[in-house]
Amino acid sequence: MSSETGETGKAGIIVAPEGANSMDKLAHSVLDDLLYNIVHDLLIKVHRDEKMARAATAAIKVEKLASDASESSTPDAKPDVRIETDAAIYEEGKVLLKGNPLKTTKEILCPRCHLPRLLHPTDGKGAKKQDQSIIYCKKHPYIEKPGYDIYGQTWVAPGPGRGKKKKDMEKKLDPDASPAPGEGGAKDRPPNVLSFPSATCSKCKRCILVTRLNNHMGSCIGNSGRNASRAAAQKISNGGSNGGSQNNDNTPPGSQKGTPLPASRAASPRKRDGDEFDEDGDDSDPNNPKKKKPKPNVLTKKVILKSKSQSQGQGPSNKKEKVKANSMLSMEQRVDDEDSKNSTVQVAPKKSTPKGTSPIKKLKINPSSKPPQPTSGPKKGSKRERDQESESSGTLSSPPQ
Amino acid sequence: MAARPATPASPKNSKVKAPQPGQPQYGCEHVQRLFNQDQATTNTSIQHYKMILRSIFDTTPLIPQTAKPMDSAAVTILTPTYLCLQCPSTLTEEDRAKHGHKKAHRFYVDSRSGGVYCQMCDDIVWDPTFEELRLRKIGTGTFSTNRKRKNEDELFAADPSKESPQYISTNTSIASCKANGLRGIYNAGATCYQNVVLQSFLHNPVLRNFYLSDGHQSSNCEIPHCLSCAMDDMFQDFYALENTNGYTAANILSGFWISDKKAFENLVTTKEQDAHEFFQFLAEELHERNGDGKKPETGSEHSCNCIIHQTFYGKLQSTTTCQHCGGVTNQVQSFLDLSLPLENLTQKRGKKNSGAAKGPAHMTLTECLDEEYIKSDKCEYRCHNCNSMQQARRQTAIKRLPNVLSIQLKRFEFKQGRNERAAKIDTPVHFPLQLNMLPYTNRARGGDVKDNYELARSCTYDLLSVVVHVGEIDTGHYVSYCRVGDQWFQFNDHKVELAQKSDVLGAKAYLLFYIIRSLT
Ligand SMILES: [Zn+2]
Ligand SMILES: [Zn+2]
Ligand SMILES: [Zn+2]
Ligand SMILES: [Zn+2]
Ligand SMILES: [Zn+2]
Ligand SMILES: [Zn+2]
Ligand SMILES: [Zn+2]
Repeated sequence: MSSETGETGKAGIIVAPEGANSMDKLAHSVLDDLLYNIVHDLLIKVHRDEKMARAATAAIKVEKLASDASESSTPDAKPDVRIETDAAIYEEGKVLLKGNPLKTTKEILCPRCHLPRLLHPTDGKGAKKQDQSIIYCKKHPYIEKPGYDIYGQTWVAPGPGRGKKKKDMEKKLDPDASPAPGEGGAKDRPPNVLSFPSATCSKCKRCILVTRLNNHMGSCIGNSGRNASRAAAQKISNGGSNGGSQNNDNTPPGSQKGTPLPASRAASPRKRDGDEFDEDGDDSDPNNPKKKKPKPNVLTKKVILKSKSQSQGQGPSNKKEKVKANSMLSMEQRVDDEDSKNSTVQVAPKKSTPKGTSPIKKLKINPSSKPPQPTSGPKKGSKRERDQESESSGTLSSPPQ
Repeated sequence: MAARPATPASPKNSKVKAPQPGQPQYGCEHVQRLFNQDQATTNTSIQHYKMILRSIFDTTPLIPQTAKPMDSAAVTILTPTYLCLQCPSTLTEEDRAKHGHKKAHRFYVDSRSGGVYCQMCDDIVWDPTFEELRLRKIGTGTFSTNRKRKNEDELFAADPSKESPQYISTNTSIASCKANGLRGIYNAGATCYQNVVLQSFLHNPVLRNFYLSDGHQSSNCEIPHCLSCAMDDMFQDFYALENTNGYTAANILSGFWISDKKAFENLVTTKEQDAHEFFQFLAEELHERNGDGKKPETGSEHSCNCIIHQTFYGKLQSTTTCQHCGGVTNQVQSFLDLSLPLENLTQKRGKKNSGAAKGPAHMTLTECLDEEYIKSDKCEYRCHNCNSMQQARRQTAIKRLPNVLSIQLKRFEFKQGRNERAAKIDTPVHFPLQLNMLPYTNRARGGDVKDNYELARSCTYDLLSVVVHVGEIDTGHYVSYCRVGDQWFQFNDHKVELAQKSDVLGAKAYLLFYIIRSLT
């Protein structure tokens, strides 16, 4: 089977020790061949991506020259000219390569927007300074940097001042010379530092900080929308048989995961009426009408749809709600206590909220990879918002990290 | 090893791919010359290339991997060989130059990839005509543009409508180059179990194509708080906006709260829940919004043509054989996902390893699948022939493979009685990037499919996304990994980061989504 003239396989990296028997040598040589194959396959893949991108670039460039040179006013028509570059020839609507595009073409143009592609990330691992004079395609290489996402974004912690007084927070922030994220909102924050947005509740149309949205909907919709009390009563009468699995006998024990106690649902969402929280500045989905939708006709409709909801999201709040939000804090605590009382499982120590509800627990599991930062609420800073921020800081719902 | 016929009989003339804007017409000047000699040369070149691809991808590797140098005996090697495009020779890399010199044959096909090597360029060339054939062979297995042939085969789910990648690219080409579907989703308060499922839907090409091609237009839908509309809006926001900030899934969430699915009442709380249950919930909800309106009952052979059925649903057939009279009963049922118990295997492992190495032994996904869909078990059943209760053997196999296979590894075991506590099984289960499902189909029971490389290839799935539960059962957190092209990403609520294959494969998966290769 083997025809190796050398000591091992084709890669020549995995070599049997001297004096090894022939079976040993064969094994090493097989392994060495497999290593070669892995490298070969990887290389072919990278080669294909790169060479095809360069070939396309050569084609795009020569086509551009051809359409510039043609007198025809219709841009789509195949111009009747012959153009030649170092890399390609344009002739009769066809592009013919000259030589190997890996040698003739150095940059890569985006096949979509025809702008050059940025070839290195702008930050983190493998970053290189980009040439500011060039307008690049908007698709950038993804960033790999601890504490940041693929776009080089990071988030202000939603509430480090949690439980603290507003004044404390202000004091803490004031002497901070560095562009402290949070101070006064988005203006002083670097553009890649984001904060948690708010969203509009579909029912009451109030604007709720995203981290509280589920709790809010639980109380706002949960009650009337789903006849929670009826369901709860039914469940209790079912004696905790967890009727939820009826749909599927395959339903795994997982159905009960997180709700080992039969009436957990009944216990939770009802009393959280105080949850409404008015927040401003939905900077999550700024839905810029300029942005393009796959289909123009859909575009108009959808954009209208969304900008409506957004305007609600950014609608001015009124003071009443603020007051409400304030008083809600104590309410929330009470509810939680109640929950753990009802719970048949692990009577939780007072500090921890019931099972998995609070992302605070997640914080424990995922020791935050990012140092806590002083924070602000939504981007568009105003005094009012800061007020709210400190108010919200007393709540228990903060997203992980 | 029969030599490839020199001139395959072909009634039609083979055509070079029509010129595309932004693409060169040929892979290199030499391929250009080859295709511009005369029609006969073009015909033989293309016919030969097809034959070579068949021999590489549809036969035992022994054939393409055996090189026959001109002046010595045949030799089978593990590393790539080169199949001459202009004659039936197969050559080692060393002999390639010699062959070219002697015969003036300039093009060779790499036996591992099917790529064409041009001796004059001394490089692999990616010629559009050859490349189209190669990609089709790797994908659908046929050279024709559609999978028609396969549609008659009940082993495979029908192609999802509007699957064509061209369709999708033309429909989204106006969107910015920045809009790529990669955004996080904010945690709205213990909703990471929803976020991971939403991400796996967002990066599922079948669902993406459906929504981006206006499969369910929220602007035309009258249903209030429709979850499918909420999905539509989300897809638009992910794939058409330049926004890189996290997404707030407010409409999904309110649709979820408003939904009155009795079966999922447990799920609708403000507490952290089971991602698998949310997957089932979302699938059923979307089926009802897009489908035939019937409840997707399990246990029945429900065939619906909605996007969810097209994507996820397959069929299982269980065969019960009476031990007394040998009578056989078949029962077919649809499935949304395969749930694989880990408990039994874990216990077996535990026994085997007790005393020896401590710590959880690992298992493999294929072991779990073997356990469920190859092995049979004993049961009691009422036999019609015998007209009485009898001992029987039951064996379950997949009758129809879905386009996207979802697998749940049952990590959460619920111990009835004992305080009704649920426990988490933390045993690592190794899962592959590529999964061959042929052994678990009833086709594999039928006859000898061992050497049917073509069938095996058409049953091959590629890993698409992985949902992971980290931490304790009650307090844990969900993250997910999704693949976009060849790149993996980790989704942790609003945060998206690059991931390595090793991160993905090292994760303790809870849900796995595989997509059938012919669709990618
Ligand atoms: Zn671009
Ligand atoms: Zn509300
Ligand atoms: Zn030859
Ligand atoms: Zn060439
Ligand atoms: Zn709808
Ligand atoms: Zn359906
Ligand atoms: Zn019988």
